[in-house]
Amino acid sequence: MEIHIRTNGNVTIIDLAGNLTIGKSEESLRIIVTQLIAEDKKLLLLNLADVPTIDSSGIGAMIKSFTSVKAVNGKLKVLKPSRMAHQLLTITGLLSVLETFEDEKAAISSF
Amino acid sequence: MQKSAQLKIMNRFGVTRILPLSKAVFTIGRKAENDLQLLSDTVSRQHAEIVYEDNTYYLIDVGSKRGTYVNDQRVERCALHHQDRLRIGGDDEQQIIFLDDSVENASAIFSSSPNLTLSSPSKDRAPITSANEELQKLARFVEVNQAFKFSMTPDDVLCLIVDAAIEITRAERGFLMLLNAEGNLEFKVARDRNRNWMLGNEFEMSRSVVEESFKQNRSVIINDSKVTMAGLPRDSVRNLDLRSIACIPLRRFQMTENMDATTILKRDVIGVLYVDSNVSGGMLTQTSLKLLESLAFEATKSLESVRLMHEEAEKKNLEVELGMAREVQIALSPSAIKAMEHFEVAARSVPSRYVGGDFYDLIPMKDGRFVFALGDVSGKGVAAALLAAMAQGALQVQFASNHSLTEVITSLNKVLAQRSESNRFITLFCAVLDGEGHLTYINAGHNLPILARTTSETETLTTRSVLLGAFDFVEYKPRQTRLNPGDVVVMYTDGVTEAVNSDNEMFGEDRLEELVKQSVNLSAEQIKQHILDEVISFTRGLPQGDDITLIVLKLKG
Repeated sequence: MEIHIRTNGNVTIIDLAGNLTIGKSEESLRIIVTQLIAEDKKLLLLNLADVPTIDSSGIGAMIKSFTSVKAVNGKLKVLKPSRMAHQLLTITGLLSVLETFEDEKAAISSF
Repeated sequence: MQKSAQLKIMNRFGVTRILPLSKAVFTIGRKAENDLQLLSDTVSRQHAEIVYEDNTYYLIDVGSKRGTYVNDQRVERCALHHQDRLRIGGDDEQQIIFLDDSVENASAIFSSSPNLTLSSPSKDRAPITSANEELQKLARFVEVNQAFKFSMTPDDVLCLIVDAAIEITRAERGFLMLLNAEGNLEFKVARDRNRNWMLGNEFEMSRSVVEESFKQNRSVIINDSKVTMAGLPRDSVRNLDLRSIACIPLRRFQMTENMDATTILKRDVIGVLYVDSNVSGGMLTQTSLKLLESLAFEATKSLESVRLMHEEAEKKNLEVELGMAREVQIALSPSAIKAMEHFEVAARSVPSRYVGGDFYDLIPMKDGRFVFALGDVSGKGVAAALLAAMAQGALQVQFASNHSLTEVITSLNKVLAQRSESNRFITLFCAVLDGEGHLTYINAGHNLPILARTTSETETLTTRSVLLGAFDFVEYKPRQTRLNPGDVVVMYTDGVTEAVNSDNEMFGEDRLEELVKQSVNLSAEQIKQHILDEVISFTRGLPQGDDITLIVLKLKG
């Protein structure tokens, strides 16, 4: 899994590429988010455009990230989940908590 | 002078050891200090002794729990005769035969027995023709090699290696030392050329040769020259008068799938094989050196395979425990409930492994309402099963004390969110049915159950909340639907709809919905079985990928 960090205004965008599944990928996501919070970056947009598969550990990493950001009064939102990821977020009811966008501009301006 | 006799001990793999009865009292028992140690549970720590009195060997039980037997007769004290069979407690792993050397010279170079027998050492050291000698060494080596295939305990194997090394080199003594956890070389085997264990933890030997061989990772050979003991305190040992020494490093190698592709990690030395002799005449030829090095290689290989065998045994134990866990899990879920007045229910959970992360429960409430719960813990195996059992227990306790559906689910979510690992969640469908057919339910991130009406309409029980264990702030709100007589509700886990066939096609929700629709007139039990049969025939030949769980509820007409 590759992770790239870029900023747009005061929003930090985390571009993920690869599967967000048990092991290194979910770990690295958690580590990156912890680092960003430590750098006082609290408005995070998780770009899932290039993430074909997410498993329960991946979901766990997203939930954990969301919770840590929320704990410091920040926000974590989700951009362009794949069809499969979207389905998973729907079934698990997470869509009701994780704000999800298909368009980056709309996502940025929502913060 | 004690009459010469020996014990021939053959284990169930056909590997034979010969132990000479060279002491006035020869002890047998489970403790390591015994002259013959037997590891069976049925052997007492100090079990029996063989004593030599009046020109006769006697077997004496020294107060064992499970008794001592000679030719299947229990004995307290019994004179031993040539070829008597000894049994110590209930140990049937070893066959022990008493051999009186005065009756028959028991040593045979090659045994005619179909079982593998290691020949006892030749008694005299009369020169043999060189070619013959090499051949014999080779034969000896082949024997040891075969023994590896049958022998089980590491100590047996190491013992055989040292005995073979002594024989090949015609040395007086042999040792095998292994690196212990503290990083020191420790004696594992110390044998003399009569195949006796030498007692003690330390031996007078050339420490400098051992060090040299171990540290430099090379064979050290000193042939036919007087060696002065450099590594030992002078006052304790002045001169060991050793003529020849051979010391071969034991190198760890990696066990790969393909034995031919074995690679030796040259630097990784785990011990040494050491033999020495104080008799002049040169104990090492080129052939025997090569054989010795091969033996050292075999020693490491067998240590490794013994380790693997132990791991295999551990795995077997684990499987037994998992089997028991499975029993517990099956017992936790009701397989049938007593006939209810206004509804039928059938349920089944089929874990993909021993234990699963799926669970279900059918809980009667005090006020006559009835609870149906079906959940799926993320992940598989034991960790998931434990969390499933915990969640199931919480549901039972809370519903039994008449808490409302909302209270039960909300508090379960809080506990899970605060306590469980961050990647463990539960998706749960939980419904309460009253006597009028009102079904009140909460769906926490679970697959939507299918409701099939007798009017042949089907629908899904929509509404969805967040799965349990994700966020402690979520409020779970129930929803209600009205069931009519004959209506069927099928609750299931994703193991059903995500079952995959050989074309990598999923069973899917549509197929399930259609199936339920067609079988709405069957009984709850028949519908459950019909769905399971269809899933099994759909995935035919493929291993079950996930736990499969179903609850079928049918209102009586």
